[in-house]
Amino acid sequence: MLKVEELSKNYGDFVAVDKISFRAEKGTVFGLLGPNGAGKSTTINCISGLLQPTSGHASVAGHDVVADGKAARGNLGVVPQELALYEDLPAVENLRYWGKAYGLRGADLEDRVNVVLETIGLGDRAKDLPKEFSGGMKRRLNFGCGIVHRPPVILLDEPSVGVDPQSRARLFDMVEAERDAGACILYTTHYMEEAERLCDSLAIIDHGKLIAQGTVDELRSKLGARDVLQLSGHFPIEATKQAIDALVQRGNEDLEFIAQEEDSITLTLSQASQHLPAIFDAVAGTGGRVTETSLRSPNLETLFLLLTGKELRE
Amino acid sequence: MRFALTSFKKDLARWRQDFMSTLIWISIPLMIGGLITAMMGSNIAPHGVLLMVDEDESFLSELVAGAYSVGNLGELISVEKTTLEEGVERVNDGEASGLLVIPEGFGEAFLESEPVTLTLKTNPSQTILPGIITDVTEILLDAGFYAHQLFGDEIDAIQDMEDDPADALVAAMAVTIQNKVESVAPHLFPPILEVEIVEPPPAEPTPPLALLFLPGIILMAVMFSSNGVASDWWRERELGTLRRLVYAPGQLGGFIAGKALAAAVVIGLVGGITLVIGFLYHGISWAKLPSSLLWIAISGVALFSWFAALQMLFSNQKTASVISSVLLFPLLMAGGSFFPLAVLPGWIAAIGRASPNGFVADRLTSEIIAPGAWSIDLSSWLIVIAGAAIGLSVCAWRLRSGFARA
Repeated sequence: MLKVEELSKNYGDFVAVDKISFRAEKGTVFGLLGPNGAGKSTTINCISGLLQPTSGHASVAGHDVVADGKAARGNLGVVPQELALYEDLPAVENLRYWGKAYGLRGADLEDRVNVVLETIGLGDRAKDLPKEFSGGMKRRLNFGCGIVHRPPVILLDEPSVGVDPQSRARLFDMVEAERDAGACILYTTHYMEEAERLCDSLAIIDHGKLIAQGTVDELRSKLGARDVLQLSGHFPIEATKQAIDALVQRGNEDLEFIAQEEDSITLTLSQASQHLPAIFDAVAGTGGRVTETSLRSPNLETLFLLLTGKELRE
Repeated sequence: MRFALTSFKKDLARWRQDFMSTLIWISIPLMIGGLITAMMGSNIAPHGVLLMVDEDESFLSELVAGAYSVGNLGELISVEKTTLEEGVERVNDGEASGLLVIPEGFGEAFLESEPVTLTLKTNPSQTILPGIITDVTEILLDAGFYAHQLFGDEIDAIQDMEDDPADALVAAMAVTIQNKVESVAPHLFPPILEVEIVEPPPAEPTPPLALLFLPGIILMAVMFSSNGVASDWWRERELGTLRRLVYAPGQLGGFIAGKALAAAVVIGLVGGITLVIGFLYHGISWAKLPSSLLWIAISGVALFSWFAALQMLFSNQKTASVISSVLLFPLLMAGGSFFPLAVLPGWIAAIGRASPNGFVADRLTSEIIAPGAWSIDLSSWLIVIAGAAIGLSVCAWRLRSGFARA
């Protein structure tokens, strides 16, 4: 349904998106997970026709977004990261207008507008102006305007940013409803828990490159059952590294060194809590000092940490 | 084009929410126009008062007083007799243009050709009327000098006359005066210089000055509204709706056409209201209303498109708004909104007519003062339509080249 092949977007020497490829199928949610500035929005802008890719291809429902852009866009519904609403037109008029922009007319349009109003929970506020709405209500209307024309492919660009928990839960319900109705959804986020809840499969993107891709379970399995242990304090770099290597040689074979700075080291190993005394002893033997310990079970966020050596939300 | 109609309705619905802007676009030009009309359009000639203190109360002093209100001069100046104290006070209070004091013994002194001083005090806060009074006074003094040169003997004889002169003496003096006039007449009538009087071609009736201001005032409203409506592109960009528009397949043309149609209606409404008020005030034939309205609506779309294209070239709304506003007022000035092109010096008027709004105002002036309706030539219509097409094309190019993205 949505296919991206070797897609790149450069701004002069700066490579915003670097040869990324993925595909998303009908009735699934495909997540694009990455920190701010990773290239998620640029990817969506290339697919939606807002930006011309520098190289590579993307197609929507079999239509190339460059060569057959009009047909491709006709099959797309985009919910942009920033609100895109006429604040001085009633909510229902916003939906009607964008429905007409995609060719809906007459009873079909009215039926669809009414369904969307109920879906986004604004049935009783249909005639009110969005400028009188709360942030969450505006987000919901923004979502509604993107799906009013029943698009087979929906691009959601960080739709939950700035949304209160109640509206976020509603948004998830709406995404799942569209997926269940057969839509193919590309969902970008930098919230790991959103990706874990909503996405059937996902890709992790950083500095414009895809660094991992698969189903949530497949990605989790890359970590195995290993925990992520992060120690903060003061650590002599070389001596600490040698001490950790010595631990590996003494039988802790799944212990892996992920990142080290003077004030923190990050390790991954299975059943880390049982090995904490040995690790503390090794660090103390180098003259290092631990002031804070963080132990996390395997999840997408720790996978990102494992792959990039940095936090997802940095 | 269905989407053009949809976009047109959408923009009109949005403008209905912003009625205050429309009110401002109409009221400012009307206020300025009202002030200008009040100043220029009343057709009341300036009129001054000359206060006269006649301490002599002789036949000659009466003659002097009467000289200020002879013929056309009487339409400009009224002579009021007063006392010296009151006259000085009234001139100082600015109630009169001047105060002429004819001293006692003026008549006697004139007849005896003795020096005499007339005192003229003028109002320093006025320029034109005191100047006229001063000039008339100097002419009267010159006339007295020449009367002495020509009729000195007769004046002496009159002075020597008794209170009840004999008819024969009066008749003899009349004959003498007549002879002198006849002797001078060949030098004066006809003049020695041969003067060929060339009749100028009959001048076209000049429209009243206040009427010449009307097109400029209407164009002021059109310029305000077209600049204001043009800023909606930036507003839509800030709302993010232009970005959403680009996502939609093939609707850019309809969107732009809808915006142009809405601009035509809003600008036509603003210009139309000022037009109707102007037509009512000046009693212009209503037959010219449709053509004038159509002209300003189409021209308004052209101006809107150019303002929009200009604003869309800048990287942020603030700069776009400042540049657009900075450009607006010199254009209004050059285009005849503050001074009609017809009364400006030729080269300045030529520059004004070359400005977009000056071009439109010039044709609107022709339409208003022409004997019949639809007097604007076809080429002018084509020029504004082409101007609108070019401006809208630039807007479309900017939408496609990244303006919608931010």
